[in-house]
Amino acid sequence: MATARTIPDDWYPGAIPRNAVLDETALIETSYSFVPYRSEAPVGLQMGRGSGIYTGTSLHIGRRGRVIVGNYALVTAVQIICDSEIEIGDYALISWNVILMDTYRFAFDPAVRRRELERVPLREPRSITSDVPALPIRIGSNVWIGFDACVLPGVTIGEGAIVGARSIVVEDVEPYTIVAGNPARVIRRLNMEKSHRG
Amino acid sequence: MIDQEHSNRQLLEPGYWTDGEFPANVLLGPNTQLKGPHIFRQFRSLVSPALTIGVHCTMDGVHFALGKEARVDIGDYCYFTNAMLLCELELHIGSYVVLGWNATIADTDFHPIAPAERIADAIACSPLGEGRPRPEIVRRPVVIEDDVWIGPNATILKGVRIGAGAFIEAGALVTRDVPPRARVLGNPARVIGEV
Ligand SMILES: CC(C)(COP(=O)(O)OP(=O)(O)OC[C@H]1O[C@@H](n2cnc3c(N)ncnc32)[C@H](O)[C@@H]1OP(=O)(O)O)[C@@H](O)C(=O)NCCC(=O)NCCS
Ligand SMILES: CC(C)(COP(=O)(O)OP(=O)(O)OC[C@H]1O[C@@H](n2cnc3c(N)ncnc32)[C@H](O)[C@@H]1OP(=O)(O)O)[C@@H](O)C(=O)NCCC(=O)NCCS
Repeated sequence: MATARTIPDDWYPGAIPRNAVLDETALIETSYSFVPYRSEAPVGLQMGRGSGIYTGTSLHIGRRGRVIVGNYALVTAVQIICDSEIEIGDYALISWNVILMDTYRFAFDPAVRRRELERVPLREPRSITSDVPALPIRIGSNVWIGFDACVLPGVTIGEGAIVGARSIVVEDVEPYTIVAGNPARVIRRLNMEKSHRG
Repeated sequence: MIDQEHSNRQLLEPGYWTDGEFPANVLLGPNTQLKGPHIFRQFRSLVSPALTIGVHCTMDGVHFALGKEARVDIGDYCYFTNAMLLCELELHIGSYVVLGWNATIADTDFHPIAPAERIADAIACSPLGEGRPRPEIVRRPVVIEDDVWIGPNATILKGVRIGAGAFIEAGALVTRDVPPRARVLGNPARVIGEV
């Protein structure tokens, strides 16, 4: 097994986990993003050619979680909460403070939540392990998600779509549409030109 | 009366930043205080002056993210806390304006809308994009008139003018002009009354 890799000029004394598979041209600014990373999947994080995960991003990836970042995708200061699978397509632009969550981590039933909350302080590191369903999130290629937006479990965002700043996406988004608001609704449609480059 | 005010003003300390020496293209009026260690981290404007702030303003943890060509001017007696000012072109803010926690004002969308141009931009912004020109991106000045109150988590997007005395509720997302003294709420924001 390969030894843990570190990031040059990293201000945080952490490492890139062994099950993170990064293309040699991919960039991850700091290992601090891996502090909440718990994935034990064969591949917990995959990053494509020319993709970037920048400072402020937190990878809250659970034991079975897996995050796939496509070629040239840009991930700036994003909170990723993943217990199943989150796929970010090629050329996707994910702005600062966006939340991508494929799970609520806590059960909806208050009694179950209470039991879990009583166990959390007994664990080291403290973590939530309740067995609540996680529903994969798929973000198509060429999608742009505006700052402070939130994408809830099970959502698929079609190719080329735009999510407006501070929107809450609760249902699937059709390709080449702009959705915005809370909850997000279609505000208009984009030209369906398909252009593949790079 | 006027003479007395005038002489009081002479006694005021010059504007200052509690955490260091502010950039040379920033002009602060007397008794204006800027606070917060990281407020100029994304300050890249090369124009002079880039940021002009009047007298008696209090700016606590305000993020001045100004692009190369950005110009921001702010009037007197403004009170901003933990807000984000994102400017690539022009932002004009009047006097007696209050801006709340985590509110964001932006005069651009930062990326193009057209899908093909967005792909070109993703490549230009990537670790492999070194030196590639970015596509043209729309920038439209934002104007906030006097006596406006902008609540926590509110967002003001490109090209918007907010009329004097308007009240922007917490969390409102504003994409259209707001008439003077209107009260707006919601995402997207709608006028729900007058103040
Ligand atoms: C989504 C976005 C790109 C659309 O821009 P646009 O096409 O110029 O949209 P317009 O301003 O013409 O608005 C069209 C309609 O959508 C609504 N709308 C636009 N953006 C919205 C948003 N973020 N939330 C809610 N509604 C929104 C407008 O109110 C308007 O509705 P109306 O005609 O009923 O008043 C833009 O509004 C946005 O969110 N920009 C921020 C981008 C961003 O997050 N950048 C971060 C750096 S990557
Ligand atoms: C509030 C919440 C729990 C509701 O989930 P739910 O019961 O599964 O609701 P549904 O998905 O069935 O949606 C019901 C309706 O409410 C709307 N809705 C759901 N969540 C919404 C939200 N956050 N804001 C606005 N509207 C929302 C939906 O659009 C739908 O409206 P429609 O029928 O008119 O289309 C969930 O949407 C939410 O906001 N979760 C965030 C929880 C969180 O922040 N957790 C932090 C990690 S511990």
